[in-house]
Amino acid sequence: MSQHPAQDPSDGVEITVGYKALPGQQDRFEKRTVEPKTGDPLPWDANTQFQVVGTDVARVDGLAKASGRAKYAYDITFPGMLHGALLRAPIAKGKLKALSLDEASAMPGIAAVVALKEVGNKVRFVGDAIAAIAGVSQHAVRDALEKVRAEYEAEEHNVDYNVAEGAPLLDANGQVEDAWPEAKEIEEALGKAAVTHTGTYRTEVQTHSSLETHGGVAKWNGQDLDFWMSTQATFGVRGELARALQGRGIKVGTVTIHAEFVGGGFGSKFGAGIEGLACALLAHAAQKPVKLMLDRFEEHTTTGNRPGALMQARAGVDKDGKLVAWDWRSFGHAGFSGQGGSVAVPNYYAIATKPRREHKDLAIDTDPPRPMRAPGHPQGWFGVELFLDELAAKAGIDPLAFRLQNDREQIRQDQWRFGAAEFGWEKARAHQNAADARWRRGVGLASARWGQLGNQGRPAHGATCRVHQDGSVEIRSGSQDIGVGLKTVMAVLTAEELGAPLAAVNAIAGHTSDPSGPAAGGSMVTPSLAPAIRQAAYRAKLQLREMVAKHLGVPVGDVDCKNGKIGTGTAQLPWAEACKLIGPNPIDVRGERLANFEKPFHATQCGAQFAEVEVDTWTGIVHVTRMFGVQDCGLVIAKKQAESQVLGAMIQGVSYALHEQRIMDKRSGRMLNGDFLRYKITGPKDLPELRCHMHSIANGHDSVGAAGLGEPPSVASAAAIANAVFHALGAPVRHLPITPDKVLAALASKKA
Amino acid sequence: MKPFTYVLPQTLAEASAAAKQPDTVLKGAGIDLIDRMKERLQTPAQVVNLLPLHKEMAGIAVAADGSVTIGAGTTLAMLEQHAAFATPALAGLRTAAATTASPQVRNRATVAGNLLQFTRCWYVRSEAFHCLHGGRGPTCLAMTGENRYHAVLGWQDCVRVHPSNLAPALLALDADYTTVLGDKRTTRKLRDLFPADPRAQNPEHTLQQGEIVTSITLPKQPEGTITVYGESREKETFDWATTACAVRLVLAGGTITAADLVLGAVAPVPLPRPQAAKLLVGQKPSSELFAKVAETAYAGASPLTHNAYKLTVGKAVVRDVLERASKGMS
Repeated sequence: MSQHPAQDPSDGVEITVGYKALPGQQDRFEKRTVEPKTGDPLPWDANTQFQVVGTDVARVDGLAKASGRAKYAYDITFPGMLHGALLRAPIAKGKLKALSLDEASAMPGIAAVVALKEVGNKVRFVGDAIAAIAGVSQHAVRDALEKVRAEYEAEEHNVDYNVAEGAPLLDANGQVEDAWPEAKEIEEALGKAAVTHTGTYRTEVQTHSSLETHGGVAKWNGQDLDFWMSTQATFGVRGELARALQGRGIKVGTVTIHAEFVGGGFGSKFGAGIEGLACALLAHAAQKPVKLMLDRFEEHTTTGNRPGALMQARAGVDKDGKLVAWDWRSFGHAGFSGQGGSVAVPNYYAIATKPRREHKDLAIDTDPPRPMRAPGHPQGWFGVELFLDELAAKAGIDPLAFRLQNDREQIRQDQWRFGAAEFGWEKARAHQNAADARWRRGVGLASARWGQLGNQGRPAHGATCRVHQDGSVEIRSGSQDIGVGLKTVMAVLTAEELGAPLAAVNAIAGHTSDPSGPAAGGSMVTPSLAPAIRQAAYRAKLQLREMVAKHLGVPVGDVDCKNGKIGTGTAQLPWAEACKLIGPNPIDVRGERLANFEKPFHATQCGAQFAEVEVDTWTGIVHVTRMFGVQDCGLVIAKKQAESQVLGAMIQGVSYALHEQRIMDKRSGRMLNGDFLRYKITGPKDLPELRCHMHSIANGHDSVGAAGLGEPPSVASAAAIANAVFHALGAPVRHLPITPDKVLAALASKKA
Repeated sequence: MKPFTYVLPQTLAEASAAAKQPDTVLKGAGIDLIDRMKERLQTPAQVVNLLPLHKEMAGIAVAADGSVTIGAGTTLAMLEQHAAFATPALAGLRTAAATTASPQVRNRATVAGNLLQFTRCWYVRSEAFHCLHGGRGPTCLAMTGENRYHAVLGWQDCVRVHPSNLAPALLALDADYTTVLGDKRTTRKLRDLFPADPRAQNPEHTLQQGEIVTSITLPKQPEGTITVYGESREKETFDWATTACAVRLVLAGGTITAADLVLGAVAPVPLPRPQAAKLLVGQKPSSELFAKVAETAYAGASPLTHNAYKLTVGKAVVRDVLERASKGMS
């Protein structure tokens, strides 16, 4: 397809969607007719020959990060800047009975004190914010916090899900004892099934554990507020802060959020939070910049988490191994609000009768959940995929054969077959552990899905592209790069469209003074912004082409921009020479995110992962030895960043499967492992050999065709590891994390 | 952190004089102490930094009689890398050093600091809890609370565990420690550094105010000695042991002629198990023997509500360590 639009694209243009065969599989190509909007470049498709897109470019801000030149919110500092901190409630439930801040205010070096709760307000969990103080040093503030006189009226609390209101009864093995609610059709189908199975599965609360904690630096200039914040929603927190400040009677002009570098979020940083509001209030009261960043305990206990889940399944298969019935109920481990504990489950396994899926959230007196990388998915997929492996084992069917039998998705059918061959599934699965072997090996697999083709909301998201006479290019978005590689994606798309050298492109993200972009959630940023970025670069290119055509005296329609050259035939200008034609005022254009075309190749993204473990049956210690993942994310724009997303998700999956859990003290309602000492996260020596294959698909849903990638690879990992442990032991461990005590218990139950 | 007076002594005598002043703590690398001071769990008036004394206090010396003296300020990385510990007789100590924390910590952390570190009990180490330890409250909160990482052996009214990796390995080698108190220099058996009666009220160690550990000495090991250290942990990268075991075997003609066995991370102090070690003496190595030794090492255990798994795991570690020692695999 030509780089240039057809004369009248409203007639529609034909594109090729789908994908080239995964090794050993078949090509899956289809034709589509799409209608690009006027002013939009023609869509890239399966036949597009890329120069930069899909190549192994290094992260554009990698050196800045590795050298410390990158400034995170934590690094921002101003002369005379104050430090802020919060007073946290020590009780899990009750009321604030008395609050006196006078003595704290009078302490040396204290510039501002703000009450965040009034006497009589509820205290809902250990760590609920009571007051905030700013002073000349962290030590001065800590001294002053000790002088706040706060009294509480404690009520009886509960931080144990087993005895939460509405929790099901469990037997000694942790299996739900309550009878299933009546369901005639399901029971009839189960009655006719060749093999049936039931089981209860459980996960624990995982915290986001972003390396940079929540908070930032607030600086007022009259009624205008600049806030350097560790956030994954620059535009969202801007509105939230403005409203909250106005709600406290503060006149607010323009709020500008800066989040050029963010040390992770994973779903916990969509809001400014009480820490953001407190920081702005302190800065306003003191009329000086204030830095307020949470400490690690506050980060673990007051900024959300991935809720745990209790899940029970029963199902049956016919004599061919086809699912004939499915029944499911789950209980989400929410916090004081009793919300946010939902569990997601796969919807692509074909079931002959209508499946039942029920869910309810249980409330306890802790910090509530927040979205965390694929909310609800890793827990639900662990429950479902381990249950399916147990069912398949009972029916005498290999887990891969079982998936191929029941999975309705063509893309994943190809991924299952290719992945199994690449991983060496058949041979590894056939490995027999000697009956008395101390170390037992096993392999497991699990599926993944996601559905994200971009936020097309109104007003449209956008991007600004500026081309300067010195040859440098700015591509700007007010959306934020929380570490996933957005800036690299922006630079690659811009260089591709302009034909400019990649090194000439500066990608800048995270300032709300730039065009709007989505929050970093739902794997939304790249698919939402990619077409806007491309359009901005395209519009800049049209202007540059005209200048070059005029200069060279050739028809503008003949001018091409490719590989750092602009022109046609022998009449070519190098990029830098061409840009000199621009003059002192740069080309400065905006691209917009237009609506998607009607019929994408596929609305959801597919993935499959494979894991191998070795279990020490003496000590119960599990080592993941290798993992392989195949993942679709539509068009792969920056290959290395995409692979890092997948490998990073697998690492997080190892950690979730084997280590991470919040441990609560029931009496006090306080988290016991609110640090990085006893809150265990997998480290370099624990990592398996990790490999992945990016399954690039021309999806044809917009001019670029990028789909979401942040979340999908994190769906399958823990489930695949749990299945591998089941294979190794011959007994399932139905409760994450798979710690030595649980492995030993599973081995003991097998013997008994 | 609360303000404090910071003393950088030029000589051991200066350090010793400063150390005797009230409300004074000694700092090696500060790996443990600085954390506690930041959290205000400990708020001393004066901190004496011993690192400037590295010339006197750090280093490894092998004497003509074959004994090895390790300066108290020697880093774990030096233990890990020094040729003196490459022999089978001292390999257990090297493993214990090499499996501690992370490379960054080992490059900084000192031998004495490792031995004298404070318990990692999550109740004791939080200002939010008032437990029996140090007389802050009426009961041990871990005993009836969350105790998956706590003691299964040798506890009385406090179920903290001793977190040092080096202690079991050094005790298995029958090490001595030398201190100065004022101008008095004393050498004692290393087991005397830890309280015989590890109650909540008793400190983690028996040092007097102002007493400074200056060195550890390992006696010459007989021909045929092999030491092995092993531990269980939930992850390989920077984790504390859930159970640990150090053994010393002397093998002659395929027979064990002498043995020591010390458990770590399962009791309020590093715990020598002479009854278990005795079973080995005069025997030829066998899996059956090692299983019996492991049972005896954990005989009399009193696991808590959430840590019975430590018995299975701990016995496996004992067996594993003995298997490796008998096969000469340090």
